[in-house]
Amino acid sequence: MVREIQFRLNGKDVSVICDPLKRLLDVLREDLGMVGTKEACGEGECGACSVLRDGAIVTTCMIPMGAVQGCEITTIEGLRETERGKCLIEAFADGGAVQCGFCIPGMVIAAESLLASNPHPTNEQIRHGISGNLCRCTGYDLIVDSIRLASERGNGLW
Amino acid sequence: MRETPIGTPIRRLDAISKASGTQMYLSDYRFDGMLYSRMVRSTVARGRIAAINMPPLPDGYYFITHKDIPEGGVNELYMIKKDYRCFAEGDVRYIGETIGLLVGPDRGVLLDLEQGIVIEYEEGVPSISIEEGLACKGGPFVGDRNLFCDFTIDKGNIDEVLAKAYRVVEDEINTGWQEHVHLETNAAVAEKEGDKFIINISCQCPFYVRKSVAGLMNRPFEDIIVRQTTTGGAFGGKEHFPDILAGPLLVAVNKIGKPIQLVFDRHEDGAFSVKRHPSRTRFKTALDKDGNILGMDIDVVYNAGAYESCSYVVLQRGVFHAAGVYTIPVTRVRGRAVATNTFPSDAFRGFGAPQTLFAIEVHMCHLANELGIDPLELKKRYFNKKGDITVTNGHINDTVVLSEMLQQVMEASGYAQKAATYKPGSGKGIGISFYNHGGAFTGNGEQMIIKAKAKLHRRADGIVAILVGSTEMGQGLQTALAKIVARVLDVDQDRVVYDNPDTSCVADSGPTVASRSTMIVGKLLERAALEMKERWEEPGEIITQAEYQHPEGYPWDQSTFQGDAYITYGWGVCAVEVEVDPLTREVITKGVWSSHDVGVPIDELVVKGQIHGGIIQSLGYAAMEKLENTAKKGFKQVGLSDYIIPTSMDFPAQTATLVHNPYPYGPFGAKGMGELVFNGASAAFIDAVSRAVDTEIRSIPIPPETLTELMKHGA
Amino acid sequence: MVETSYIPKDLEEALRLRKETGAKPIAGGTDLMVAHRRGTGVVPKFPWPVMIVSQLAVFKGIRLEDGEVSIGAGCTCHEIEVSELVPWPVRMAASLMGAQSLRNLATIGGNVCNASPKADLPVPLLMLDARLELASVSGIRQISLNDFLVGPKKTALRDDELLMRVIIPAVNPAFTYLWYRKIGTRRANAISKLSLCAAITIDTEGMVTDFRSASGAAGPRIARNRMVEEMLIGIPITDIEERLPAFLDAYDGILAPQAMPEYRRSSTRRMLEHFLRTAVTRPAHGIIE
Repeated sequence: MVREIQFRLNGKDVSVICDPLKRLLDVLREDLGMVGTKEACGEGECGACSVLRDGAIVTTCMIPMGAVQGCEITTIEGLRETERGKCLIEAFADGGAVQCGFCIPGMVIAAESLLASNPHPTNEQIRHGISGNLCRCTGYDLIVDSIRLASERGNGLW
Repeated sequence: MRETPIGTPIRRLDAISKASGTQMYLSDYRFDGMLYSRMVRSTVARGRIAAINMPPLPDGYYFITHKDIPEGGVNELYMIKKDYRCFAEGDVRYIGETIGLLVGPDRGVLLDLEQGIVIEYEEGVPSISIEEGLACKGGPFVGDRNLFCDFTIDKGNIDEVLAKAYRVVEDEINTGWQEHVHLETNAAVAEKEGDKFIINISCQCPFYVRKSVAGLMNRPFEDIIVRQTTTGGAFGGKEHFPDILAGPLLVAVNKIGKPIQLVFDRHEDGAFSVKRHPSRTRFKTALDKDGNILGMDIDVVYNAGAYESCSYVVLQRGVFHAAGVYTIPVTRVRGRAVATNTFPSDAFRGFGAPQTLFAIEVHMCHLANELGIDPLELKKRYFNKKGDITVTNGHINDTVVLSEMLQQVMEASGYAQKAATYKPGSGKGIGISFYNHGGAFTGNGEQMIIKAKAKLHRRADGIVAILVGSTEMGQGLQTALAKIVARVLDVDQDRVVYDNPDTSCVADSGPTVASRSTMIVGKLLERAALEMKERWEEPGEIITQAEYQHPEGYPWDQSTFQGDAYITYGWGVCAVEVEVDPLTREVITKGVWSSHDVGVPIDELVVKGQIHGGIIQSLGYAAMEKLENTAKKGFKQVGLSDYIIPTSMDFPAQTATLVHNPYPYGPFGAKGMGELVFNGASAAFIDAVSRAVDTEIRSIPIPPETLTELMKHGA
Repeated sequence: MVETSYIPKDLEEALRLRKETGAKPIAGGTDLMVAHRRGTGVVPKFPWPVMIVSQLAVFKGIRLEDGEVSIGAGCTCHEIEVSELVPWPVRMAASLMGAQSLRNLATIGGNVCNASPKADLPVPLLMLDARLELASVSGIRQISLNDFLVGPKKTALRDDELLMRVIIPAVNPAFTYLWYRKIGTRRANAISKLSLCAAITIDTEGMVTDFRSASGAAGPRIARNRMVEEMLIGIPITDIEERLPAFLDAYDGILAPQAMPEYRRSSTRRMLEHFLRTAVTRPAHGIIE
């Protein structure tokens, strides 16, 4: 049984006709072509599928479309067009945060979520802020450094 | 600008596309008319397939099995050996063995069909553990002893030394399975282009895939074109394992003709993919009355699982690293790879070395305890030096700089003061470990087996393309190799491109394994670039190519395993400080310090990323990555809520330093390092925990419940 | 055709759907969407009809009512974690559940109704004598959390009922010392391996007037036993030490861990011992670590 679900995606109104139980992740990746959001565990453990829902970080593999009606969703495709997103991406590149890259779009979303509520976090706060995003390559240190770099460079952005 | 040292970081070639989410991985691509597929796998660990009862297949759906292998094709995947089948046929040897591939347009229907298949088995008695495999529980299924291989290397006469020893200390160290957890699961899409087969695949070694599956079709290698897609982590898990996806897909595409996608979900990837070999290492160490080590008799057994794949080679590396960074006067090392009815064990960062290096480090600590001295004091006495004789009666050819590295780690960590202050059992402990990793293929494998080639192409537009089969999987190889080429040609970095390899276009530079790519392929590209530079003024396109040349003077006999197993090693020192919670036995890591000799780093930031990441993987291996296996259900911890890898909160920020020690046969003096950095932190961690709780630990991992049991029995 | 999913527009419709179709609510989705997932690109399939209720404001809100804290069943762990109205141990438990992204989705209603022995929030809630308000088309009733949690994955929720809110009664006088500790599978983003919530009240005479303790992941149900607690009530705090062995043995008797029993039992014993012995020393700070 399908329904029409309306929401805002990266600042634009979107309407999707789908089963209300379909995962937001599948709609983003397969129906809307937003493949920057990755699937790595499918059970809310790894954070690779993170987006912002009404500004709060959520894992889209656990969200039924019925719960998206009327929400504002921001994916990496939207964030990368913003000054904050650009600042984060540049800092991730310069700080050596990127290795295989599969966790990184979700990690950038987590960094945005953190800096939006705490523009100048301590290293411990950064570690806490990305603790829902698993990375198997980096050991996290260079990701922490990169988020701190973004926080310093982007003074005033957040 | 060109005066800056090679190691000065540049921005990684792949950083912006990956961070901004524009980088496409396999599952991000859609092909016209693409079908999906699901593997149908054995649910018993050992048995004969009595019947496969299929639900009716709707139009457009297929069930591909060994019967679909075309005339002349052979049901085997050609890895190192040809023992691994593409599809089970008659019998099954492990839970998760491929029986067939369901193919069709709708993934929901495929799931329903999979659940509707009833396979009847005549079940046998499986062996799961090393002990069960050695005991041939259920009867042997490989030879008459369940051994894929069994060999011994002697340096001197260990029997004489043991007989005359003042005392002999025996020890046994065990390590468990470890799952790679590359964030991107295994994934491939196969399709047909004209009369060629195309396999788009997340993998380390496109030429391995091609070689492995061509026999299924009875076609020459060239008829199979493998295109690597950007690979979201591998760690050895995508060295041979992609063949397991590529084989059935190829058979299916041959029959159906449309592009077919196979992407594992996380639980499939956890339950039904290769793992690190569990190990059991036993020592008999001969001591004289002054506490000097006279010799070691080391018995290494790896659990290889149901097929050999690369286990013989993994075991060789384990055996050759069994004495660690120590020169022991007399040694015997026996290695056995035992067959069990578990998912085949395979490559994983370190490739057999981490298990024996962990064992020797822990054993040296136990010897120090026996002798009543600080482990560091004992270990220092036996450090390898240039010219020392190895367990294979070859030589250490490197100038060994362990002492300088140790000095750096001592200063950064405050080891001496902490080791003296933290009393055994005080809940606080600091540990230290030493390790190395032989660079590139063992012995003369680069010369005899791999015969790597590398090609450079200056295109009409003036851009220089790197054309090699080596792959970027996160380790930074694109950046490292492009940097070498740009530096030699003295051109701007953005004039050099290095795309994901396509086997129909690039030179076979060998597999992306064995920490060989920067050291061997980088050197070939350096040579190709030097030739291009000489011809730079020529008009139009230029193609240059280099082939591997083995340095003279490093003898190796692969039939007896005698000589220089490795021309050079990377070296490492790691210290770890812990506190054990007195109430909950949770281990809190307070500090991690390391120093490495990687020759000369091609890019300091890339190297730093490798060090920090490798060390965390190693700490996870020792601390938390528990993976159990049962005869009835196979692997138990298969999702990421059960198989526990470190988060950003589990270990503190590290301090990592380097000692430059140029390697004459590497590009700009670089040596391999991707695996080295995995090889030692686990032992330092266990040393620290052992001291903190004053209990010897002989097995990893040690989650708090295991530590509690140990402390209870130790007390 | 029978619908498999509904999106009710208000409580009335939700209650009616619950009554007529037996549809179960999905709020955060963190348990149900995962438990019934079917993989990439395939819609999760549930063995019963479901209704998505995350949009219903009636399940939201944390309020103080007659001195009691009322938490709407649809409140997320994040909302609970940051609310100053909520008692400390509940906030702690909420803050240590999963990762931030999970805490933004997971609700107290789901955590309670899932009735997992490893659930985080019910441990302090049980210790605090929380009650639940359940609604159906026939009306509203209240039930203690203790009576609600029948067994592993089993509750006293009737087929036509929905959980509306969780009510935490005021504690008077306030606890003197509090303890909450979750041992996870790792230091963040972890499932509970064991948890313990405890509280003690000591009056001006030094008499123990209340003591409570609840254990998570230590048996098929969250463990708490008033009779065992009473072993320490009504005695001078200075007598704790001599009562401790008998108390710890009795407390051990209410635990029934199947896996890692030695670890769960001995860690619980050490934590209780530590909490009580520290309380005896009468530290200035009310939260014992």
